[in-house]
Amino acid sequence: MNLKQLYKLLLFILLIPVLSSCFEVVEEISMKNDGTGDVVLTINLSQSKTKVASVMLLDSVQGYKVPSKQKIQQELNEAVAYLKKSEGISNVKSTSDFNNYIATISFSFKDVSNINNITKNILAQQKIKATNTSSYTYNKATKTFSRKYQAIVTAKTEFNKLKAKDKAVFNGATYTSIYRFESLVTSSTNPASNVSKSKKAVMLKSSIMDLINGKINVSNTIQLSK
Amino acid sequence: MKKILIAISLFLSFNLAQAQDLVKKIPSNAFTVATIKGDNIFKLMFVKDFNESFVGKKLLTETSKSMDKNFTSIEDFGINLEKNMYYFNQLSDSITYNCFLIPIKDAKKFESLINNKEKKFTQQGDIRTMVLPDSTGIIKWNNNMLYFVTGSIRGSFFADSAKSARYGIKDIRFQGEDALAVDSTAVLADSAVAVTAEPMIEEVAAPVIAKAKVQKKPTAKKNTKKIVATKKSGKKKPAKKSKKAKNQEYEIIYPEAASDSTGMTPVHGVVDEQYDAYQQERAEQDLKKKRLAFTWMTAQADQIFNGTYESIESNKSYSASLDNKAIAELWVSSLQDVYNSIAPEFGTYGKAGLMKGYGSLNAKLFMDNKSFRISTGLELAQNQADAYKKIMNRKLNKNFLKYVNSEKALGFMSYSIDSKAYLEEFPKLLKQTYGSFLGAKMDEEIELGTDLLSLLLDEEAVSKVIKGDALFVINGLKSKEVTYTTYEYDDDYNQKEVTKTKNETLPDFLFMFSSEDTRLINKLIKYGIHKSMVTVQDNIYKIQEKKSPVDIYFMIKDGIVFFGNSLSEMQSISTNQQNNKISKLHKDLLSKNNFSFLFNAKNLVGKVPDSEIGGEETAKKFNSTLEKMGNVYMKSNPIKGRLVSADISAEIPNGHENALKYLFSLIENAAK
Repeated sequence: MNLKQLYKLLLFILLIPVLSSCFEVVEEISMKNDGTGDVVLTINLSQSKTKVASVMLLDSVQGYKVPSKQKIQQELNEAVAYLKKSEGISNVKSTSDFNNYIATISFSFKDVSNINNITKNILAQQKIKATNTSSYTYNKATKTFSRKYQAIVTAKTEFNKLKAKDKAVFNGATYTSIYRFESLVTSSTNPASNVSKSKKAVMLKSSIMDLINGKINVSNTIQLSK
Repeated sequence: MKKILIAISLFLSFNLAQAQDLVKKIPSNAFTVATIKGDNIFKLMFVKDFNESFVGKKLLTETSKSMDKNFTSIEDFGINLEKNMYYFNQLSDSITYNCFLIPIKDAKKFESLINNKEKKFTQQGDIRTMVLPDSTGIIKWNNNMLYFVTGSIRGSFFADSAKSARYGIKDIRFQGEDALAVDSTAVLADSAVAVTAEPMIEEVAAPVIAKAKVQKKPTAKKNTKKIVATKKSGKKKPAKKSKKAKNQEYEIIYPEAASDSTGMTPVHGVVDEQYDAYQQERAEQDLKKKRLAFTWMTAQADQIFNGTYESIESNKSYSASLDNKAIAELWVSSLQDVYNSIAPEFGTYGKAGLMKGYGSLNAKLFMDNKSFRISTGLELAQNQADAYKKIMNRKLNKNFLKYVNSEKALGFMSYSIDSKAYLEEFPKLLKQTYGSFLGAKMDEEIELGTDLLSLLLDEEAVSKVIKGDALFVINGLKSKEVTYTTYEYDDDYNQKEVTKTKNETLPDFLFMFSSEDTRLINKLIKYGIHKSMVTVQDNIYKIQEKKSPVDIYFMIKDGIVFFGNSLSEMQSISTNQQNNKISKLHKDLLSKNNFSFLFNAKNLVGKVPDSEIGGEETAKKFNSTLEKMGNVYMKSNPIKGRLVSADISAEIPNGHENALKYLFSLIENAAK
């Protein structure tokens, strides 16, 4: 047994308590009254950084190839480049922290519907045939912000095909969406959502598992004061 | 003294009486022998218990249903459950026999089992014979035993026309298409030769010839080029004319048909007919082969029943492999022989004798009130065994045992080899295995390579730096505080990054190997410190590697190099404050074997926080699975004579009478 093999064995042992990991996905949208706004997307794996660091040292884990740091950075850069070309999108930035395993992408949009096109195009690029499952609209006249979301049926069936230990990866993962506005929020239709004390923001927190299983729907219509 | 002798002889005669075993019926040239030892199995579980078990019930109801009978006990099958059942096979260049020998207690019961619709078996004396539909197998039995044989003819044997001719069998290949497509005389010549090589005169299906004759005239006129082809092949004619006229005409069909390529239909017609003829002949030959196989099988079965011959018991390798405590055994005669017998089908590789040096193989299954155990053994050639003996001539450093904490250890793995002997013997073994494989041409190069290796390596010096024994042990789990980044939100839901801490459970590992000469390692450490890859505190070195998810420490003490991820453990080793207790099982495993591996799942139960396994539910399952597992371990046994062997054992949890019953309960649980 050479040292490299020993090291692999050691890593394998570190990973024994199943690959369950906690990670956070946060989506923030700040809307201005004129319909323009900013988006920040964050993926934070720092709660599982020991495991992620172990996984990163392996070539593959549970039959999946582990991407290298360079590969991840490259993908992130490609995403930025793609966004920069997208209609109505500007000010695209990304950050990556490979010590804590946190990555963010932020950009500004002219109209919130610009985001819909991005998801549509990405889905098309990935050759996923799905009716647009998530779309944002903002009506300047009525000052209503709405998100229509439909659980992707295929996501659930695909997910159920995964092995139990692969599914466990998503245990404890959370999804948070925050919408901020310049005007006060008068109503938010999704019962799982909370309106902030200042009445200028709405937050919805859910587990990724519930989202995949369709247990929770993140659709929401937010009425702003006129 | 007399009493003792009487006792011994009594014991022996008792044993002989018991030994009225069907093994006597297995010929000495059997290739594989598998045994299921009824008496040992039903010692662990009474027949009554078996009948009432989940598996037993299922078996009885299913067979009752399919046979339209009512079985209440496996004894109803008429098999003698207290004796051994055997499977063996015999290989020859022409046929492979798969044979089963089953002891019979009540032939009537057995007959009622197979004799449900029409009486198909014949009786001669007390021997009854039944032929399986399609003549693929024969069952023969009397009041004490049942013999079932199936035989399969080996294709390679009948591909050799000289051999197959002896049995009036031709090797037939369909060549119509090829000959048509490749308008070449070479093909023709070949096929002509192939046919003439067969001395047996077979009737060629008439239609083809008739058709060819009809077509001969017009085509010959049409295409002069093709006539040349015909003529060329025709040149061969005189040589074989005397032998058989019909066959020649059959050969000529090919060019004739080819020449007629302008008119598609006749060609196709010819091909179809040729193919039909080919099919027909093929079927005929297959039938012949089948009949031959059946004749051989019948003779073999008669021999087993009535003949006298040397039994496998006289085979030393076989008899040495037996263990009267095993509940099932498998023995495969020399791997080299196996390899050579299959070799013709592998072409050139066979001649290389890749398996040179490997003898018979055996495996035994044991079940008792404590564990399952599988023991495997492999016989080596003398020189190979000697080489391994030299390599294995090292015991694990006894000081290693101080660092195993049996109460907490999740598992360990150890090995000990003589690294000097290994470096010296390895090239030789390599040469033996691959030398013949690469052929005589490469001999010199291999010799050169192995010599070069010996020249470059100072085996003695290397073996001082790394003596060849090592132990990897996980002495439990430790909780460690780690920080992570998350978010908090203010009244406006503005995000604020905050750092929180949580506990992570990590295994504490310790790896050690012996080293007599640590100068090289010390130099490496110095270099590491110089390049700031290593830091040192109180003789404990820490590897500065940012990528690593855990800290790794190492140190050298009393001729042992330690690696580990627990600083406290390292410190206590450094200051001799280790207070570990090693259990007898662990001590024996480590100190008596060249290789050992152990996993003790119980020490993991409840040690990992639920949140880290993925929720309460998963954790529950995880823990209950672990609880059901006893120690699982592997070890290599010392070489005995020319036999290398290894054991794998799995202990059963408390509260189960024996491993067989535990296995049945596992199956029942799984089926629920």
